[in-house]
Amino acid sequence: MKKQGLLILCFFSLLAFSIGFSANAQQARITGKVTDAGTGEGIPGASVLVKGTTRGMVTDLDGNFSIEASSTDVLVFSFIGYNTVEETVGTRTSINLTLSESIQGLNEVIVVGYGTQEKKEITSAVASIKAEDFNQGTVNDPRQLLQGKVAGLNISRPGGNPNGGFNIRLRGISSFGANAEPLIVIDGVIGASLNTVDPNDIESMDVLKDGSAAAIYGTRGSSGVILVTTKSGKKGKAVVEYSGTAATENVARTINVMTADEYRALPGSNDLGSETDWFDAVTKTGVSFVNNLSISGGNEGTSYRMSLNSRNVSGVGINSGFDQLNARLNLTQRALNDKALFTVSISNTTADRQFGNDNSFRYAIITNPTLPIYDPNPQSPNFGGYSERDIFDWFNPVSIAEQNISDGREGRLLASIRGEYNFTSNFKAAVFYASQRETFWNGRYSPKTAKFGGGFGRKGLATVENNERLNDLFEATVNYDKEVGKLDMAFLGGYSYQEFFNQGDYTQAGNFLTDAFTYNNLGAALDFANGLATVYSYATENKLVAFFGRANFNIDDTYLLSISSRYEGSTRFGENNKWGLFPAVSAGVNVANLVDITGVNALKVRASFGRTGTQPGDSYISLLRYGRQGNFFYNGSFVPSYGPVSNNNPDLAWETKDEFNIGLDFVAFNNKLDGTIDYFTRVTSGMILPINVPVPPNLFPTTLLNIGEVENSGLEVLLNYKAIDKSDFKWSVGVNFSTLATNLRSLSAGDLSFGAVNYRSNFGSPGQNLTQLIRVQENGPLGQIWGPIQTGVDEKGAPIMKVIDGTAKDASGKPVYCNCDADRAQLGTAYPTINFGINNNFNYKNWDFNFFFRGSLGHSLINSYRGFYENTESTTVQNWNVVKTKYFDPNIKKAEYNSSHVEKADFMILDNATIGYNFNVKQGKSIGKIRTFLSVQTPFMFTGYTGVDPSVRYQDPENGDPLAPGIERRATYFTTTITTLGLNLSF
Amino acid sequence: MKKTINIKYFLIGLGLTYFASSCVDLEEKVYSQITSDNFFKTDEEFISALGGAYSSLGGLGNHSGLWSINEIASDEIVVSHKGGDWFDGGVLLQLHQHEFQKDNPFLNNTWNFLFGGINTCNRLIYSFEQLNNANSPAYIAELRTLRALYYYWAMDAFGNVPIVTDFTSTEKPANSSRKAVYDFILKELNETIPLLPTKKDGTTYGRLTKWSALTIRMKLYLNAEVYTGTPQWALAAADAATIINTGPYTLNPSYAANFAINNAGSPENIFVYPYDKVFAGGFNWVQMTLHIVSQSTFSLTDQPWNGYQTVEEFYNSYIDPAKNPGTQGPVWKGLALEPSTGTVDGRLTNFLVGPQKKADGSVLVDPGVEVTDVTGVKGDPNGPPLTFMPFLNEISPGGLRQAGARIAKYEFERGGTPNMSNDFVIFRLSDVILSLAEANFRLGKTAEALALVNQIRARAGGLQPFTTLTADNLYAERGREMYVEMTRRQDQIRFKKYGEAWWPFAGMNRPKKVHAPGSFLEIFPIPQPQLLANTNLKQNPGYN
Repeated sequence: MKKQGLLILCFFSLLAFSIGFSANAQQARITGKVTDAGTGEGIPGASVLVKGTTRGMVTDLDGNFSIEASSTDVLVFSFIGYNTVEETVGTRTSINLTLSESIQGLNEVIVVGYGTQEKKEITSAVASIKAEDFNQGTVNDPRQLLQGKVAGLNISRPGGNPNGGFNIRLRGISSFGANAEPLIVIDGVIGASLNTVDPNDIESMDVLKDGSAAAIYGTRGSSGVILVTTKSGKKGKAVVEYSGTAATENVARTINVMTADEYRALPGSNDLGSETDWFDAVTKTGVSFVNNLSISGGNEGTSYRMSLNSRNVSGVGINSGFDQLNARLNLTQRALNDKALFTVSISNTTADRQFGNDNSFRYAIITNPTLPIYDPNPQSPNFGGYSERDIFDWFNPVSIAEQNISDGREGRLLASIRGEYNFTSNFKAAVFYASQRETFWNGRYSPKTAKFGGGFGRKGLATVENNERLNDLFEATVNYDKEVGKLDMAFLGGYSYQEFFNQGDYTQAGNFLTDAFTYNNLGAALDFANGLATVYSYATENKLVAFFGRANFNIDDTYLLSISSRYEGSTRFGENNKWGLFPAVSAGVNVANLVDITGVNALKVRASFGRTGTQPGDSYISLLRYGRQGNFFYNGSFVPSYGPVSNNNPDLAWETKDEFNIGLDFVAFNNKLDGTIDYFTRVTSGMILPINVPVPPNLFPTTLLNIGEVENSGLEVLLNYKAIDKSDFKWSVGVNFSTLATNLRSLSAGDLSFGAVNYRSNFGSPGQNLTQLIRVQENGPLGQIWGPIQTGVDEKGAPIMKVIDGTAKDASGKPVYCNCDADRAQLGTAYPTINFGINNNFNYKNWDFNFFFRGSLGHSLINSYRGFYENTESTTVQNWNVVKTKYFDPNIKKAEYNSSHVEKADFMILDNATIGYNFNVKQGKSIGKIRTFLSVQTPFMFTGYTGVDPSVRYQDPENGDPLAPGIERRATYFTTTITTLGLNLSF
Repeated sequence: MKKTINIKYFLIGLGLTYFASSCVDLEEKVYSQITSDNFFKTDEEFISALGGAYSSLGGLGNHSGLWSINEIASDEIVVSHKGGDWFDGGVLLQLHQHEFQKDNPFLNNTWNFLFGGINTCNRLIYSFEQLNNANSPAYIAELRTLRALYYYWAMDAFGNVPIVTDFTSTEKPANSSRKAVYDFILKELNETIPLLPTKKDGTTYGRLTKWSALTIRMKLYLNAEVYTGTPQWALAAADAATIINTGPYTLNPSYAANFAINNAGSPENIFVYPYDKVFAGGFNWVQMTLHIVSQSTFSLTDQPWNGYQTVEEFYNSYIDPAKNPGTQGPVWKGLALEPSTGTVDGRLTNFLVGPQKKADGSVLVDPGVEVTDVTGVKGDPNGPPLTFMPFLNEISPGGLRQAGARIAKYEFERGGTPNMSNDFVIFRLSDVILSLAEANFRLGKTAEALALVNQIRARAGGLQPFTTLTADNLYAERGREMYVEMTRRQDQIRFKKYGEAWWPFAGMNRPKKVHAPGSFLEIFPIPQPQLLANTNLKQNPGYN
């Protein structure tokens, strides 16, 4: 925190230091012409740049240029779709040259860690998605732009909660730690929040998939890295762009429950005389409006882009939605004879949120369909007019969402400044400082009349929470390039320092005279006087310090080699193991440069190895800490007592992941087909997990240790095919898929283990606590769903479970089911065997049409709704409604988790389909471009799953446990379909 | 250019200095947590540390720990599987049916509670030894006694537990025999008893005194035959007599007052854990036993869980005039919509039975049930108006939601929270009197024993004295007096009734394992997570 000043000092001192080196050489004016090697015509708009500087210009309409350069300078000539050429000036004052057309995509610029590379130079598994390939429609979260687009990158958000987050997993489960999601780097800011970027401001997203690509980010690279590049201004006339969308959102999938008539027909039903569609009662049509305006432009020295993005979203749930405003400025300034380049980026985001309440969905499913929403009779006690029944684990779902208030306000500021200085044409240094400030305020109130949420029992219950997350990053880098004959070498060295500070407070208090204050007058709560209020505050800090370097070798664009390493330390580890080394090496050969293969335009084979790490989610975990353990009655009054809450572990070290990747990039059939194939195998070891240790000698019954080993392997394929490529009709198809196999090699450390077999997760209340669901087993795959196998129903309506083991016997000696591990079997697997995406793009004259399917095959889900409520047990029927899917069996009268509740959850969903029209705009008019489009998102899904959402659950939604995937919990937000009408204008 | 170079060197120097001092420093700065570096500096912090040993006792009043396993495995308490509720993987049924499994989480909770406490004592003993100030000997004696108490519970529940006294040891401890643990506890108590305070006042309330230590030793001797094979009735009698004759305790005229919300003034309670809804939470019987809709009876802040119930036969031992002679009057019995006639034992305040009302006196309804036939197959025979009936229909799966007398021993607070403020009674004089009675009875001094038992009966109220004393009516009297005070499992084992079928109704399947006295089931299995964490630990005999 306090280091911020020092960091800024550091920044400017290094900047001054670098400027100290400024030197001048004799300049001369060079002129010339750039022509197309095929046609001989001049190429307008080609870029001419003095290498190692930002000094450059573009060719005129005839391909002519004129530029100041010294004799030792190297000029770089480039144009999209052509191979880049470099020429040393020497004694010449005139340079004429030809550019030849390049093979599709090979010159595409890919953002890699601390730099960029052309696609043909890449030797590791990197996927780059440009703005034009992003998912369309109403996209409020940048993660959604990538959903289904990158083989091996799985993005899911079960249900349609507008405030809900997406889960991202790259190449399966590489870590059980807090950082199972890829590291986000926004314009060089490591660990920035994706919520600081509006999806409309993103130029490209590059995904570093394998260990060698991510190793330059060492300690946080294990789950992959997503590099986000925001749009910036281009030199030339100012461009104003506007885009606006209006969208409606409707419920797509729920779970089938009995109608009032079906319910009334059940024996023992409790007819309350009314008829209510509870799903309808807890949902509405969501409406959202998105408006974006940007202004960009630039001249010789300065380029800029400013944008303003507003989003007003209301979800399908009652009182759910948000209003967000984001402003961004990206500014680039050249200085000191173009040797220096400054880049400033500022983004500010504010969001006001209404969270609604997911539990209204949960209870809508089990609410008696003959109950009216509002009670026609005066009630005692007063529940605000809503029907409430005195039943365990039941609450009026409409009351839950309408009476309880949960509001949030977020502010996010991300500011960065980068200064770069080119000492010579092949040596430059840069310093970078970034600061991210995130604040979260949350206020909740449950009134006296709300049975759910504590308001009724606590006579009104208010909660106010504040959290701040601050981080400051300082980095310094040096680049040196060298050419020796056909060998190009590029070296990078750097230092990185990042400091994180989190602080927050929480107050919860009840017993108000009136509901009028809601959460705005905590002092009015009598709980403070009675000692029943809850208050806490906290502050934590951690730091990461790293030294890193990389060397790239390129012989004639044919033989490629890259070596990198990061030596990084974190405060969060034990004192003996704070530092870790994360090396990587990758190599590739452009085979098509060596041999001619018929039909193949380009072919590169590559192989890589990289080691990355994962740091734990919390600070201080290697220390012996004492915590408040209640109070001690000492001499007539209570004094606080403290006892150990953790064991110390000075050897706590990085979790590391070693990954091998082999890959193939190719272009074939006259640039019509291009693709990438990768196969990887990765071993994660030393995962930081709490494990039981004996007390004594330890102080606390669990210790965080580096435990176990997990192996993942998989195949990823990406293919793009231009089926038709005529001037007025184009059709292209893109297909990607990925497979995944996991193996938990070990889950022990020395003689400590969780046992050969260990269960995670708990089914829950009522009646099914301590019910084991997900089995974790050494030398077996992850995500095994286990349980008893149901074979029938007994005369009392209880499911009959298969006797597998047979050692348990009843009084007569007959083998019986034992409700133990021996009588459970694997019922499914939580992870899909294959994830895929299929994209189709059509262009016909002014029309464009796009549709995109994605899906997952081979995974199963535990359908919790059915496990609890698909039975006609008398209390279920008496208290609740009954879930009725195609599996409903009226004879089952007992809720007991078994094989019948585990379902295959294969699905394919139409993620989005968009039709657009580009209006013809006459040259010279003030408007440059007009496009309108209509888009539908997730209008339908193919699946046999009967629950709400067949999406893969990578972790237990109730506690985030990544070792307990594959469970659909009862509070899943209903899924939705969004229809969007949009307009894009540019001036 | 010269000037530039100077600045350059200056900046390089500045950079390097800054770098070395701060840019690679990875010490963790702690803001809102306590580590040993920033604690144990003042006297108050040391008292607070001593408190850590006592506040571990706060686990006693929780669901799923030491109290739960002792009571559910006995014939006092059952948690029946009520339709969709309280199956919970069968762990509660296993306990009541004596099908103890090493992976039952209740057992591991208990182990962690006991050895967490033992280890805290070891740690603090070590700290006070290092500190070696004027208070150290007294604190150390107190902590050794507290450790002996934890060991007494551990030895009673798990038998062959490891003995660890050296805080600095890093060895994973191996089991000791139950006999060795017994000897260890005895030795510790023999050494600490002379060092402990004898006063009964504010300074010793909620802390161990000489009298608490004597009570622990008395209980060791009382159960010595079970623990070691050799009875020690005379020694038990001697300790009991010392407490009764020289201790500062008298029987409370009101039995119920010992368990009232403000029971701190009880003259009878020897050792308590002071709970408080604000300062020392965790006593949540109100949640465990009351029905969901009882929230309206007591204006509770939270919905209770409708779990723990009294075994009907046990309840009947109060009202049955043949077993418990006394004044006859209206009592709730069986299906009980109307009161029956039976013995009105003053200690029926232990139970909540009969029709329940809202706080304003109106009828309390459980809308989740329907009236049905007496077999209770379809619903609760007493129907939607909530009536706690002593009748229990079955243990699983269709246990009636209103079945079973509820545990009302500790007074419920109107407007209460899940955390009760009553102080949890660990030892009290009445137990000591009945222990002396039993020791005398076993030694053949039946007349003295009978007088002591009748002293307890007289205090209970509404009862006639016994005219003769038998093992059975002594056992039953102990049961009535000590209901849910964690003595019943011990009593059942000592009176050789632990393995009997005590719920002998058709289809009740309890216990599944009827077992003979001395069966391996008289101690619990060592929990699986402990065996995994400590490979030197061996499972108890009979369990795998």
